[in-house]
Amino acid sequence: MNNELPPGLALQKVDERIMTLNVGPQHPGSGHMRIIVQIDGDYIVACDPDPGYVHRGEEKMAEYRNYITNIPHLERPVIHDSCNILYPYVLGVEELLGIEVPERAKYIRVIASELNRCVYTMYWLAIYGIFLGHSTMFMWPAGDRELLIDLLEKMTGARVTHAHFVPGGIRNDLPPNFEDVCLRQVNYFEKRIKEYAAIFYDNPILIARTANTGVLSRQDAIRLGTTGSVLRASGVDYDLRKKEPYDVYDELDVHSNVMNEGDSYARSKIPWLDMLESCNIIRQALQKMPKSGSVRVKLKPNPKGKGFDSVYKRVESGRGSLGCYIVSDGKPEPYRLKLSVGSFRNLIALPYLLKGEKLGNMPAVYWSLNYWPVEADR
Amino acid sequence: MNTATGIIKALNSGIKHLAIKRFTLRYPEEKLKFVGDGYQFDPSTGVGIAGYKGRHMLFHDHCTGCQLCSIACEGVAEAIAMVKVPEEYKHNKKAIMPQIDYGKCVFCGLCVDACPFYALYMTNDYELSSFSKEGLIYTPAQLQVKPFVSQDSEIKITDRGATHG
Repeated sequence: MNNELPPGLALQKVDERIMTLNVGPQHPGSGHMRIIVQIDGDYIVACDPDPGYVHRGEEKMAEYRNYITNIPHLERPVIHDSCNILYPYVLGVEELLGIEVPERAKYIRVIASELNRCVYTMYWLAIYGIFLGHSTMFMWPAGDRELLIDLLEKMTGARVTHAHFVPGGIRNDLPPNFEDVCLRQVNYFEKRIKEYAAIFYDNPILIARTANTGVLSRQDAIRLGTTGSVLRASGVDYDLRKKEPYDVYDELDVHSNVMNEGDSYARSKIPWLDMLESCNIIRQALQKMPKSGSVRVKLKPNPKGKGFDSVYKRVESGRGSLGCYIVSDGKPEPYRLKLSVGSFRNLIALPYLLKGEKLGNMPAVYWSLNYWPVEADR
Repeated sequence: MNTATGIIKALNSGIKHLAIKRFTLRYPEEKLKFVGDGYQFDPSTGVGIAGYKGRHMLFHDHCTGCQLCSIACEGVAEAIAMVKVPEEYKHNKKAIMPQIDYGKCVFCGLCVDACPFYALYMTNDYELSSFSKEGLIYTPAQLQVKPFVSQDSEIKITDRGATHG
């Protein structure tokens, strides 16, 4: 009889100094996942992240729904960043069906996805704050996030899970007087997040807690295949908005933020710098956007692909590069849909970063990887 | 930077907020303001009209019982069922109209996009909680009623900060 248990559940004969500790899956500090750590006293000897508790089978579900009805369920993995997770899917379907998107729709998509990136990052930052015992940093981002959620609600009609992007453009045009309200609230938002520097990022207590913990070198970051803010915190200047511009990002002046330290502090600061950059992009897009025009190409209710074809598109989401690979076989449903998400790629770095760290530094390192459990499990 | 000055600066930036008006919305007493009367769709142009995606509203004088909304909901939430209505309409020979189960609806609004007869819109009503599962199922007669939604506050930005004024 095969008595083998899955790794992590099996009883291991270990040194009496070393203890195996399960963090999660119900631990508030782990999210919907388990981190199996082996500790020697206070120091982590080995770490084995165990995701998969919130696997929903999004990729398989997509094979039974057509290109339009796929939209509401594909944004479920990251409800705070739902425009960005739909972006590669929508770009891919547009290429498969051969649709040209109106110029105004492209700009509105950029604005929506940048607002969404900020909403996600604020949520992430709030949790990072409470992980480090900084309650103010939980309350402030959670409150200021409301400014952008209000804008997205005006734009799309829902506070989260917007279902706003469709192949061929966006669902609805902007409400009247939106540009002024957006500019005013984004300017105020920028002023607010600049205040976070004094209380959080320049705070000596935070720096002492996060600097020089979990250092990921430039070579390791490339070798492990990390993306997004983790890669840029290790000194690699790779931002997809700049390197592979999609929609109208090539017409906007995008500055990618890079830090060379590669520690938890740099990884937590890059998303904050990205939010400041997002405010710049939104202002540019509002200025350059055509003031009127069509926002959606009229499609058949059940669009079909043209025979066997495949497409891979990726965008820069709040958590790194987010790719979508779609195979079509000429039917209204995709033959195969694969989401390649930044969260999962960044999680690979966790065992390398935690080795030799103190257990108390685990939350600071783990959440600085910009990891979202639900997205990684898909 | 000196550790002591850094901590004093951090404390100072928090203390400044004691003098600023609260941003929190006191929800049941105050309610948010929306743009427009809810999400609508214009089939002639194929573009929606911005608005909140809340409870649906069904116009009995336009609905032909074509079931397109129900087909659009297949694979999304399967919340729409076509049921018999007692009234007879000239444009609705089968006398069937959508009945929506809000225990399943995800408020994506794809049913509104599917309606070619301007019969199904969404409204600003978002307070749909009920004590029973049956109370969440809205019949065509219930969907016909235009809801009253109080809207009193929106975000106001002044020099001293933002409030829900």
